[in-house]
Amino acid sequence: MTPEELSQARITPEGEAPAIVLPKGLRRVPRGVDELATEHLIVNMGPQHPSTHGVLHILLELDGEEIIAAEASLGYLHRGIEKLAEHRRYSAVGTLLDRADYISGIHTELALAQATEQLMGIEVPEKAQWLRSLFSEIVRIASHLIAIGTYGMDIGAMAPFLYIMREREALLSVLESVTGARMMFNYVRPGGVLRDLTPEAEPLLRQFLKTFPGYLEEYHTLLTGNEIFQARVKGVGVIDRATAIAFGMSGPPLRASGFGWDVRKERPYAAYEQLRFDVPVGESGDCWDRYLVRMEEMRIAAELIEQCLDGMPEGDVMAKVPKVLKPPAGEAYSAVESPRGEVGIHLVSDGTDTPYRVHLRAPSLMNLAVVDEVMPGHKIADSVAIIGSLDIVLGEIDR
Amino acid sequence: MSPLLSILVRALLALLLMLANGVVLIYMLRKVLGHLHLRIGPNRVGPFGALQTSMDVVKLLTKEDFIPSAADKWLFRLAPYMVFVPSFMAYAALVLGPKAAFSGLDTGLLYVFAVLALVPMGVMMAGWASNSKWSLIGGMRAAAQQISYEVPLLLSVLPIVMTAGSMSLAAIVKSQTGYALGFIPRWNVLSPQIVGFGLFMIAALAELNQTPFDMSEAESELISGFANEYSGMRFGLLFLSEFSNSFIISALAATLFFGGWLVPGIDPASPVMVWLGPAVLLLKTYVGIFVLMWIRGTLPRIRIDQMLALGWKALIPASLVWLMLTGVIVRAVS
Amino acid sequence: MSSAALSSALSAAGVPAEVSEEAIGAVARVPASDLVEALTALRDADCAFAMLIDLFGVDTGEQLELTYHLRSFARDEDAYVRVAAPYDGEVPSAWRVYPSALYPEREAAELFGLTFPGHPNLKRLLTTDEVELPLLRRSTAIRTQEEVHDR
Repeated sequence: MTPEELSQARITPEGEAPAIVLPKGLRRVPRGVDELATEHLIVNMGPQHPSTHGVLHILLELDGEEIIAAEASLGYLHRGIEKLAEHRRYSAVGTLLDRADYISGIHTELALAQATEQLMGIEVPEKAQWLRSLFSEIVRIASHLIAIGTYGMDIGAMAPFLYIMREREALLSVLESVTGARMMFNYVRPGGVLRDLTPEAEPLLRQFLKTFPGYLEEYHTLLTGNEIFQARVKGVGVIDRATAIAFGMSGPPLRASGFGWDVRKERPYAAYEQLRFDVPVGESGDCWDRYLVRMEEMRIAAELIEQCLDGMPEGDVMAKVPKVLKPPAGEAYSAVESPRGEVGIHLVSDGTDTPYRVHLRAPSLMNLAVVDEVMPGHKIADSVAIIGSLDIVLGEIDR
Repeated sequence: MSPLLSILVRALLALLLMLANGVVLIYMLRKVLGHLHLRIGPNRVGPFGALQTSMDVVKLLTKEDFIPSAADKWLFRLAPYMVFVPSFMAYAALVLGPKAAFSGLDTGLLYVFAVLALVPMGVMMAGWASNSKWSLIGGMRAAAQQISYEVPLLLSVLPIVMTAGSMSLAAIVKSQTGYALGFIPRWNVLSPQIVGFGLFMIAALAELNQTPFDMSEAESELISGFANEYSGMRFGLLFLSEFSNSFIISALAATLFFGGWLVPGIDPASPVMVWLGPAVLLLKTYVGIFVLMWIRGTLPRIRIDQMLALGWKALIPASLVWLMLTGVIVRAVS
Repeated sequence: MSSAALSSALSAAGVPAEVSEEAIGAVARVPASDLVEALTALRDADCAFAMLIDLFGVDTGEQLELTYHLRSFARDEDAYVRVAAPYDGEVPSAWRVYPSALYPEREAAELFGLTFPGHPNLKRLLTTDEVELPLLRRSTAIRTQEEVHDR
């Protein structure tokens, strides 16, 4: 009997349903409807969900465990940073932008400072440039640690997230000792940086550099070498090179797709021209590659910290800049490589002491757009793996 | 003592053991996971935080009795008991020592698996009755997991039944007395049955809903799966039965593979075993639970389709082959 | 150099464009009606602007200006395409040329009050339904008169 015949047979020959009185409360299946018919389930993943890395909200259409369609819904953390920035003096805009990408605020600060310097034609002292590179890399490791740790958590391994806090603590104590803050640093300012390394910062960093390779090895044991982890991430969420470029991706997700574009290499800023480093590139663009690229970047960033400490020149950390910044009318774009990708600040000035327009090119937003494209066809569990591998920060997406 | 009273006393003792285990295990889980994760765990309430779980029980008991408005109220109320009762019933089969057992069931092994097979029904009921999509997916996962892992779990212990010639847990323990080569205890885990132990271990992890197979809870995917909408003591019951299940499975593993209450070097018939036996079994069980917690603190979670594939394509064939091999050997030896 | 490549690519595609070299780089101003042709030409021509880095609006006080920030990896340089649109006006959606325009267009639509015909899903991106004003227009104050008064 074919399925059609079977469903035909359920209907009585006269086309009438058999007059069976169903017990009260039992739903009667309408005539002619296949009793085994299924329907798609639409679930709201987020904004309160342990694995959406903040207040991301993704609508998933599910067929059982399989994702049929996905749509990201944003804006739960929208604070109007771009609008508020139009009403602040230049020196105060940095504090706003710190809160955009709150895990690696220093990169957004740096982009803003560079854009302001471009407009005003400020020459930044060399030492400040080196300090900018140094702190960029410190924050890069701290941010990648979070990315790796939470990624382990997304996949179901609790341990790495708590282990990374050990190293992050070491880095944050350096940041705290120099910038006075553990998250919203406001350290990089137009014209240079806030202050020089404190006496205790360098020994702390040297100590960190001594222990970090061993700890990195620990993560490779906990995650990279774990068969279950590999089974969960290999071949999942493949973003090929063409898709990555079409969707304007940047940072580790772009490089994992096999396109080695890094702002630090291609448009050197701060002291990156004097530093030697490689840019890790993935092959297939799956979650596994994105994870490995981040692991490798951490190792390289540790080398860069060492180079920065060794090559740190003497001199001022701040150029002579007026108390109230009044850049001449004009436009400037400055990009830096943040742990999430290319952070760009597009600054429009009208000659007054407040910016006319500040636009933040948020790498997380651009990287996230691909989610709707990649997710269909994967399982629910993979959706978590894909979001985690993109390492988004909602503060930056929603601004 | 009248038989009825005797049954009542034993049931109460089993309940006491179960509740005490719950309190101890939750504290142990927090401490073990804490130290595995470079943190401390509870350390504020009581010495070394030992009273933390008791306080949590008080908290759970005094919480608002909350039922989501869209939930199926009766099923929602019933489900925690559907989870709790079978796991309590399983205690009846445990053999703690030569003279300590809640009941002398001849088919204790079969009985344990039969009642434990009812647990996922309660889980599915909880998932369905919550009327939440995440809970529903969790409940459905529990059902799929149950069907695929109950089979290898039973198949992996059948070789033991063959070698022991009985389904009674007491008889299985007795069959492990004596020494091979004069000094190696004849525990099943020290015999070729270690293969069966490996199979049992994997299937038991899945049966217990433990990492890496915690599909129906899957914190990072389904938030908390079937337990999503539960709070207060209903959640407490779900939680408690989870711990009691891991106690039962660990006790089973100790009984089937690690010689139960036997201690190498002490004659099982000696009177000292009457009290030493239960203590040793508890110790062995707790070591087993520690291993479970260790795994929980270390491994990531496998994906549902991979888990089902592992169950059907690897575990079931492997345990069938092992069962057949054991059968051939047992037949050839006798 | 860059502006020359830009204008030659655009004139080859028959798009009327006004190309100039500004502080941020080469900027091509094109009419909104020719935007999609211009972007297609820039993506496909020899200069191969493969990636749309960013898209954002600026309220000049008289009109809205959308800037499309393009990057060519082959030539290793950036270029900007600028489109002017009246308030509450229309700009054709560029998502078929550059899918990366999907989110920024939604953002520009809600924060500047524009529409992008051809966009598949022009819902709000960042704000909730109660927010009716296009927030990033200069005329929208960050505080209402009453709120300013209260301070």
